[in-house]
Amino acid sequence: MITQSILNGLVLGGIYILVALGLTLILSIMGIVQLAHGEVYMLGAYAMYYLCVHAGLNFLLAILISAFLVGGLGVLLEKYFFRPFRGKMERALIISIGLILLLQNAVLVIAGGTPRAFASPFSGMISVLGVTLSLERLIVISVAFGLVLVLFFLIKMTKVGQAMVAISQDREVAALQGINIDRISSIAMFLGCAFAAVSGALVGALFSVSPFMGGFALMKGIAVIILGGMGSILGAVLGGLLLGLIDGVVPVYSTTHMAGLIGFGFIILILLFKPQGMLGREFE
Amino acid sequence: MSLSDKKKSKGLRYGGAILFLFSIPLIVRGQYTLHILIMAAMNIILASSLRLVASSGQLSMAHGGMMTIGAYTSALLVMKLGISSWAALPLAGLAAAALALLVGFPFVRIKGIYFAMVTVFLAEMITLTAEHWRSLTGGSSGVVNIPPPDPLVIPGLISIDFPTKTEFYYFILVLMLVTLLFLYAIERSRIGLTLISIQQTELLSESVGVNTSRFKVLAFCIGCFFAGIVGSFYSQYINVITPRSFEFFFAIYIIVYMIVGGIKKFSGPIYGAFILTIFPEFIRALKEFQPFIFAGLLMLAIFFLPDGLVDLRRQWDKFYEKRFNRA
Repeated sequence: MITQSILNGLVLGGIYILVALGLTLILSIMGIVQLAHGEVYMLGAYAMYYLCVHAGLNFLLAILISAFLVGGLGVLLEKYFFRPFRGKMERALIISIGLILLLQNAVLVIAGGTPRAFASPFSGMISVLGVTLSLERLIVISVAFGLVLVLFFLIKMTKVGQAMVAISQDREVAALQGINIDRISSIAMFLGCAFAAVSGALVGALFSVSPFMGGFALMKGIAVIILGGMGSILGAVLGGLLLGLIDGVVPVYSTTHMAGLIGFGFIILILLFKPQGMLGREFE
Repeated sequence: MSLSDKKKSKGLRYGGAILFLFSIPLIVRGQYTLHILIMAAMNIILASSLRLVASSGQLSMAHGGMMTIGAYTSALLVMKLGISSWAALPLAGLAAAALALLVGFPFVRIKGIYFAMVTVFLAEMITLTAEHWRSLTGGSSGVVNIPPPDPLVIPGLISIDFPTKTEFYYFILVLMLVTLLFLYAIERSRIGLTLISIQQTELLSESVGVNTSRFKVLAFCIGCFFAGIVGSFYSQYINVITPRSFEFFFAIYIIVYMIVGGIKKFSGPIYGAFILTIFPEFIRALKEFQPFIFAGLLMLAIFFLPDGLVDLRRQWDKFYEKRFNRA
């Protein structure tokens, strides 16, 4: 029972981390809080639904295509909606609220409000050391943590990654060094949105898909980056794991409300002692 | 025109506007129209009181949560303890302000976007508590059959009770005018000036001896007080309150009214809340396409009017002048 709930916690944690990584990338490169990130995640889930059910594509191929489609949309959003408001927190907030309304209602008009479900092809169970694990959940965990590793190496090893670090530390100085901020911003937005899309696609396969699924993901994503500290990948991973475990284990013994209370209470407590989150730094 | 004349004409204008507001129920007979106006007045109080918090440089997203506190406090006081609804109204505000005071000092240490996020979590925790604490709050289904306000009796003169929307309209109108007067007085007082100095340069104000965190907490408390009052009004007006009556998006909308209206001027949130509350009603015929128009309006306003809707006239004059000078 306890192993099972810890496993569930890891699954949730993986999903939260993928959403949070996108948010934290966008925040540290562009200096804005993208509230429509939950809707991007929802679009990823819907793309997956159409690709799997209507086009009959292979599961993993569909995830890949959905990530590229939604990532491409992210590039467009960055160029036409967020670029003029880089670093302008309040005005960018309103733009992202407008985007929530646009995207949510677009999906509502096109696909309707009824939740939809699709099955993932990995329905088997495997037994390891007496614990039964559903293959479906293992896939979620491995995809999520695989992507975290990819992002980690991207940032540590590549020039683009180092440019991202530079911009997040000081945008003007980075620009003086010849870093093309527009280009890096679009790459960050592409990655962030693609990660959210993968997360949405995985959730869609586990549970169901609806136009309103984004709010939950946004709330958890924000909670994770606040807890871990904004702009820190390791912080997002730690925060995601912690919140995922709380959400996975606590409901077994109490209610989901209690899990939420403990999670948010824990974050507020951490912030009181460490106002920048566990591994973060200050943002204006 | 001399200064006193100017003052007189300004007073006349405001007097006329207030007279007009009071005479609306005589002209407007539709209950639905009155309902929209009541909502607009509620939103004006919320957005304006949020602006006070924002004037100290903190964006609070807990206004919805504070309304929940106010609504539950007043409903439970009236229904379980039998207190008069007119006493419950200020007590609801005080309950919200007390919570704000309790969390205020630790919260204001947290800066910028972190403060906004912590207030999101606070609001979420209030909602979750209301859902979890079934014996007191009735859980997710909330409190139902909340009685309307007690009759307002002045012995020998009048007795007003609240059977229709007209009475509620007058109730919220008076509440709104008093609130705005109060907030305006604060803005013009030493407190208002100090808050602006904190927003502009916190370090400098600290260095001249301003206890910045005390003023920030004060602004937060006063703002939350009015949110509690509006929550209490809402519970008496709608008769039902659930933990999710004012959830995340509700708080977001108050921020939208404030910023789109214009945060720099006192009148900004008033115009923003009024226009954005009644605007969707004009495009109701578009049905499911209505949100697209609304979202488009928000984005256009943010793109072209960085200082909000109140800046429309100045921006338009600028645009007009440019075209004519070129021609």
